Amino acid sequence: MLLGDSGVGKTCFLIQFKDGAFLSGTFLATVGIDFRNKVVTVDGLKVKLQIWDTAGQERFRSVTHAYYRDAQALLLLYDITSKTSFDNIRAWLTEVHEFAHKDVVIMLLGNKCDITSGRVVRTEDGESLAKDYGIPFMETSAKTGVNVELAFMAIAKELKQRSSSPDDRKFQIYEYIESQKKKSSCCGFL
Amino acid sequence: MASDVDKRSHWETAAASSLSVDPGNDRSDSPAPALIQGMEPGASQDEAMFVHAQSYEDLTGEVEGMEPASPGLEGQIENMEEITQDFSKLSTQLSVSSSHSDEQSREAPCECGDSPPPVIQEADGELHPQDDWYQHQKHVFVLSEAGKPVYSRYRSEEALSSTAGVMMALVSFLETEKNAIRSIHADGYTVVFVRRSPLVLVSVSHTRQSEQEIAQELLYIYYQIVSLVTLTQLHHLFQQRPSYDLRRLLSGSERITDNLLDSMDTDPSFLLASVRCLPLTSGLRDAATYCLQQAKAKSLVFSILMSAQQLVTLVRKKDQYLHPIDIHLLFNLVTSSSSFREGEAWTPVCLPKFNPSGFFHTYISYLSHKPELLLLMVSTDREDFFTVSNCKKKIMERLEKRGTWTPLKEALSNSLYDVAQVGIPELRHFLYKSKSSRLFTSPAMTAPYNTEVEQKRLVSLYQYLHGRAHCSSHPLTTIYHIGPQENILAWVTEAFELYVCFSPLGTKSSAVNGVSRLLRWIRKEEEKLFILSSSTY
Repeated sequence: MLLGDSGVGKTCFLIQFKDGAFLSGTFLATVGIDFRNKVVTVDGLKVKLQIWDTAGQERFRSVTHAYYRDAQALLLLYDITSKTSFDNIRAWLTEVHEFAHKDVVIMLLGNKCDITSGRVVRTEDGESLAKDYGIPFMETSAKTGVNVELAFMAIAKELKQRSSSPDDRKFQIYEYIESQKKKSSCCGFL
Repeated sequence: MASDVDKRSHWETAAASSLSVDPGNDRSDSPAPALIQGMEPGASQDEAMFVHAQSYEDLTGEVEGMEPASPGLEGQIENMEEITQDFSKLSTQLSVSSSHSDEQSREAPCECGDSPPPVIQEADGELHPQDDWYQHQKHVFVLSEAGKPVYSRYRSEEALSSTAGVMMALVSFLETEKNAIRSIHADGYTVVFVRRSPLVLVSVSHTRQSEQEIAQELLYIYYQIVSLVTLTQLHHLFQQRPSYDLRRLLSGSERITDNLLDSMDTDPSFLLASVRCLPLTSGLRDAATYCLQQAKAKSLVFSILMSAQQLVTLVRKKDQYLHPIDIHLLFNLVTSSSSFREGEAWTPVCLPKFNPSGFFHTYISYLSHKPELLLLMVSTDREDFFTVSNCKKKIMERLEKRGTWTPLKEALSNSLYDVAQVGIPELRHFLYKSKSSRLFTSPAMTAPYNTEVEQKRLVSLYQYLHGRAHCSSHPLTTIYHIGPQENILAWVTEAFELYVCFSPLGTKSSAVNGVSRLLRWIRKEEEKLFILSSSTY
């Protein structure tokens, strides 16, 4: 489930993952919540991801709340060019803890990292916030596709791991992200 | 002028008798079936699927004598002369005004060049002259009672604060006198006010629309806002804080309202307060309806199939009726956002005419893009997404299994019928509304109405006819007008409304003849053109 303020790029993030395209041009506010499927292959196993794209606007909160508790994973997005959207992350996390399942996988994403000139939220700010709440963090760009696939794949791997028996839990989401992130950011700079 | 009257009475009898000889239809038992509600072509056989809606019904509370005159009156006219006068006066008036409106649609921006728009420029002291902004044909503003801007069709709400102040001052000034301002007419402009606590809606326009029609459009905007937040919440917010900035809650919805205003200029369904029905052979429609009926869930109230703003079929819960306004708002919602095109969406929607105090939850999913086929399911339960989504799967499976899907898609891809099919050479376009079923039919807008400008012009002619026919002080049942580009005719009875557009080369007698042939054709095709029986789960 994708969460975050209006205009941070949730729908674009999903479209980038699903179709590999970037929705440019005008801002299209999502109405209510939007349900999509994508099948990914994780370690040779097919995993069907059912993804909820939610509207960031306040008036849709009641619907999004209703679907929190069935969600196994939450991708919480903010916009690195908007301080407000970052400040609201704490409020979002409070909501998440109130409505969502206890052992839901949460991931914090600073979107629009392709924009360099308009950045107002430093990478370190995002990292330290994520650390406070003990959740993984990365910066992404729905426009260039940086870390988009990785975010969903990490979630998919973590979920697959959780569904298997507790004995063979070898997968560590943090390590995975750290190892992969470096690679993709290298590519991003090339 | 006497000949006019003769012609007219002649044509009514002609139309009536031609309809009464309709063979093998028990609905033609009555001597003049077309004139009795429930007997007209397109009337539903059992009960209608929509709430009975009258033109301007929401405005009738304020204005007396708005009911359109019944055709009974027409029959027993005592002073024919008065009518004749009226008729001829109207003809001249119409030709003047329609040439005006022809000019207007093309040269609208220039027309106000020499004289400043009266209302808006009062605030001009602080505004930069945004010329483009002033040139728009119809501005729509929504304000809160505290004078805060809620919506402006062409934006720049901030710059409008002083204008908003003037508008509110006008409204409250008259209210202290226990009176209400309805409209200001000056300099070719019409300023219409509609007050629906806690909102004030204002339209500033220079079109030929009647005040009532503009007020009706403003009400649509009001209902649009209610459908986003519910009336209960609206009252609650402003009771708690009269200075509340509603834009915060409505953010992201501007496009929906914009789209509604744009559609009202080009789509006659809003004008007629009825739903456009997609022509489909009855067998195919029944099969589609059956598939919707079978996929039921406890929380479902309505299942609707629509294609390109036209109703394919509707299944409803027993004893629950949808209002045409509500269905227009639903259609507008889904067409104004491309975000519904993929996946499955689930969104809260208040249907203001059904229940203004609560939300329904609506499932929206395209079954096919080309041709467009859209499934809408209205549920009472916020948490029922997966149940309803399952219903969609069942519907798709059933459509395919029963072999309905392929012929349905074929039928949808050429759903618009050509006016030539009617076989009346002078006929160019028409709108036919069955009052009892609240459905209407009209052919594709073909040449010369195939450009957006011409379509708008044709719709504005229909708006004009509709306005005259439903005028509160002089309601008319028949109007024939010879214009430079087309001859248009309106015929409003208790049972139906018919607006016809003929080639400018035709004569009045050929038009009269054409109307009765057209009605016969509609009767013959009614099974295809209309949904004659309404289905429940």
